[in-house]
Amino acid sequence: MHKGKVYRMIAVSMLSGIAYVLMAFDFPLPGFPKYLQIDFSEVPALLAAVLFGPGSGIVVEAIKNLLHYCLQNSLTGVPIDQMANFIAGTAFIVPASFLFKKNRTTKSLSMGLVTGTILMTLLMGILNYAVILPAYTWFLHAPQMSSQAMLNLVLVGIAPFNIIKGLLITILFVLLYTRLRPMLKRYSY
Amino acid sequence: MLENVIIGQYVPGRSILHRLDPRSKLISVFLFVFIVFLANNWVTYGLLGLFTAVAIVVSQVPLRFLYKGLRPILIIVLFTFALHIFMTKGGALLFQFGWLKIYEQGVVQGSFISFRLIFLVLVTSLLTLTTTPIDITDGLEQLLGPLKRIKLPVHEFALMMSIALRFIPTLLKETEKIMKAQMARGVEFTSGPIKERIKAFIPLLVPLFISSFKRAEELALAMEARGYRGGEGRTKLRILKWGMGDSILIAVLLILTISLFLLRS
Repeated sequence: MHKGKVYRMIAVSMLSGIAYVLMAFDFPLPGFPKYLQIDFSEVPALLAAVLFGPGSGIVVEAIKNLLHYCLQNSLTGVPIDQMANFIAGTAFIVPASFLFKKNRTTKSLSMGLVTGTILMTLLMGILNYAVILPAYTWFLHAPQMSSQAMLNLVLVGIAPFNIIKGLLITILFVLLYTRLRPMLKRYSY
Repeated sequence: MLENVIIGQYVPGRSILHRLDPRSKLISVFLFVFIVFLANNWVTYGLLGLFTAVAIVVSQVPLRFLYKGLRPILIIVLFTFALHIFMTKGGALLFQFGWLKIYEQGVVQGSFISFRLIFLVLVTSLLTLTTTPIDITDGLEQLLGPLKRIKLPVHEFALMMSIALRFIPTLLKETEKIMKAQMARGVEFTSGPIKERIKAFIPLLVPLFISSFKRAEELALAMEARGYRGGEGRTKLRILKWGMGDSILIAVLLILTISLFLLRS
């Protein structure tokens, strides 16, 4: 059966809805501060990227975060959390789906996801140090953090957190994808 | 918690603020986020406070809903306030007890900074408290309409957001159903080692994805059968109406902005 543009659009909306729902089932990792929470909302975005191309994955990330802002607002009233989540998610899924596209094997998928994890960790480390942490302290008017303290937080908290988060999602997605694959033929575009 | 996921913060009501066009509310909140940072003395903060207070009264939203939005930042606000009181020096010495000295500037700066954050959170909360997500989506689509000129698929994006919104309750119900079915078989989703928890997610996600692909297929077929061809010339069930109140709100915001510019020191 031929599936057109409308199907792709709606499938991506459904995946965004799932991503938003999965955001609610978040949990903190043992040993990390409470504001660093892990959820599996990147999984539907990855699936969209793998099935319909990287652009669709980015759309899932965008809709998920926009919905989250429209429905839940954010801590400071300005969507810093949602923007950070969007950038992290995009940095994770785009390299993964590009590497996977070449030969579509489980090995290339795992390679892509690990690359995505590394890229996300690096990008979020730099962004947290340069933009996000200063933005938070500025909006919340918390005491200014020294650059040494921020560097410590990035190196000890945020970077290891992103690596663990990326690897957990990698394991989950590879396991999930090998199981979904036979069924997905029918639903890919 | 689950109810909060579906309906978000929206509090149904018939107040003037509820009935305003989402476009005017979006523009106002966007503007407010910027002009909050213009205030730097008592008069300007007073004006912002007056605007926030009037908006809250007009919205008729019960205060406990507003408090819910403020609660997470309250500790941070108190902490920075305390920090400013003890650390910022300048102005007259107000209070001295041993090594503890409180200066006028400390109290002033501490309260300014706390007020700024509180106003910011209250006003943005009012938007989500008085506007349904579907209205926000419609408003955003209209406001971002000009971007269609540079080939950005604004209409498609808004439609996708509405579809996702429409299916969130369905998807959540389905997730719960599968979770309960799995839990009845002894699966633990919220406890146990991380490795087991990840494994537990697979039998949850597989049926969730497959059923939503099926649903997408059906919906796409139905839409195509009814001749859906994208945004051009599509009629709408809900049409946004820009009324007198909306123009007044924008005017108030503009006057507020100009007065802040004039009165700030």
